[in-house]
Amino acid sequence: MAAEPVIELTDVSFSYNGQPVLKNVSFTVEQTDFLAVIGPNGGGKSTLIKLVLGLLKPDSGRIRVFGKTPRKVSHRFGYVPQDTSINKSFPISVMDVVLMGRLRHHGRSRVAASDRKRAIKTLEMLGLNGFENRKIDDLSGGQNERVFIARALTTDPDILILDEPTAGVDTGGQTELYSLLKKLNETKTILVVSHDLMVMSSYVKTVACVNQHVHYHDSNELTDAMLEMGYQCPVDLIAHGMPHRILKTHKDF
Amino acid sequence: MIDALQFEFMRNALFAGLFASLICGIIGSFVVVNRLVFLTGGIAHAAYGGIGLAFYFGIPYIYGTIGVALVAALLMTAVTLKSKTRSDTFIGVLWAVGMALGVILLDLTPGYHADLMSYLFGSILAVPTADIWWMIALGAVTLVITVYFYRDILAISYDAEFARLRGVPVNLLYFTFIALVALSIVFIIRVVGLILVIALLTIPPYIAEKYVGSLRMMMIVSIVLSVIFNVSGLWMAYSYDLTSGAAIIMVAAAGFFASFGLDFLISRFRKPPETEEPDRQPACR
Repeated sequence: MAAEPVIELTDVSFSYNGQPVLKNVSFTVEQTDFLAVIGPNGGGKSTLIKLVLGLLKPDSGRIRVFGKTPRKVSHRFGYVPQDTSINKSFPISVMDVVLMGRLRHHGRSRVAASDRKRAIKTLEMLGLNGFENRKIDDLSGGQNERVFIARALTTDPDILILDEPTAGVDTGGQTELYSLLKKLNETKTILVVSHDLMVMSSYVKTVACVNQHVHYHDSNELTDAMLEMGYQCPVDLIAHGMPHRILKTHKDF
Repeated sequence: MIDALQFEFMRNALFAGLFASLICGIIGSFVVVNRLVFLTGGIAHAAYGGIGLAFYFGIPYIYGTIGVALVAALLMTAVTLKSKTRSDTFIGVLWAVGMALGVILLDLTPGYHADLMSYLFGSILAVPTADIWWMIALGAVTLVITVYFYRDILAISYDAEFARLRGVPVNLLYFTFIALVALSIVFIIRVVGLILVIALLTIPPYIAEKYVGSLRMMMIVSIVLSVIFNVSGLWMAYSYDLTSGAAIIMVAAAGFFASFGLDFLISRFRKPPETEEPDRQPACR
């Protein structure tokens, strides 16, 4: 493992309209970590992600990414937002969405021929060859999701952040997606927000449970045996305590 | 209509219509894809306060409307960026306040006032040459900014958060474009009037959006449609002695409803679009 942590949060708090969402969050993410961010709805998972990305500012505390403020290194993130169907009726082609990943790559509001080649290569990798000129409106939920993953990968990121990427994807697609992520994880740090730890349990290295507070479980806690158990049992890994104590118990959930 | 062009006012009207089309096509597309129709309505109505201010202080009315439209636009945008959920209420309030301010200031100004009807319904046949130059300048600025920043504008409109991560100055460009919207409104009010400015900004892009695959094509098709609506509306107004703004909008409305008829025909004669999954390639090889 590299010496310098990739992401470092120290006593970070955030509230929305006076309601505390996250309280005194501290944890670090190492190079080529594969972190699963889990927790109940409204627990602050997406907020945590947006703080790391620099899209939100913490009320207090310190966030460092590669030793700098998130805003300064925002070009090193590849981000797949939670809701990829929000602007479905927008007149835009698959190619133009993926090319957003190359935006400002040359410092200007232009794309080069090399950017197009890059975009086509990424689409091919995700099994979307020949989709370049299709309107985003014509795609299925799973195809749409893969276009957004292609957009994130086209940015050539060091950190890949995916907010519930499997929401509109069937089981076969999920397995494909996670095996792709596993391959990318050889060189990239990955953060995935998800409900279903089951599917990704054989890929993740660390887990952050988010519910106002964040409990970070490092790789020592997630032994292969534990993950295998979690994979076979119909019980979610999030279930701290009974019946399967897969993760160390902690207070306040 | 060719013989009508021997009159300077007809030539001015035609130029005003053409440049209004250029501006409307670009700005209107931006307004429609960003769902800013209500905000645009708010700016257009609040700008009436500028008429009142201009008459009260005895300055040219164009400066009054530009000033008030810009201030209203910036306030509305700031509120929209800050709280997306309740900005419509704020816009509604500014909308009403601007109009009330205009009416009261005109009450307080002694003497005869410029025709309110011409502000409400436009007077393309009375567009002075100076206004044509303003519109040429605005059209040129809008075109240059849009062409140069096309990718940024596309990204901001489609997914502002992602654009921000890529280092696009989202707020700066957004405010710039809203300022262009405000300026466009002031000049297009000259052509079709306050009441109808929304229609000319939204109908062509709305029709265009259904048949195109990109924002760029949406803008181009909108410009073409605007030209058709403006020129044929103007021709009708000239031939049948009608109010020009109302005639232009009636032509646009006819196009609007005709597009629904076209949609119906397309859906009858074309097989449903393919949505099935093509053979999926393995994600990793």
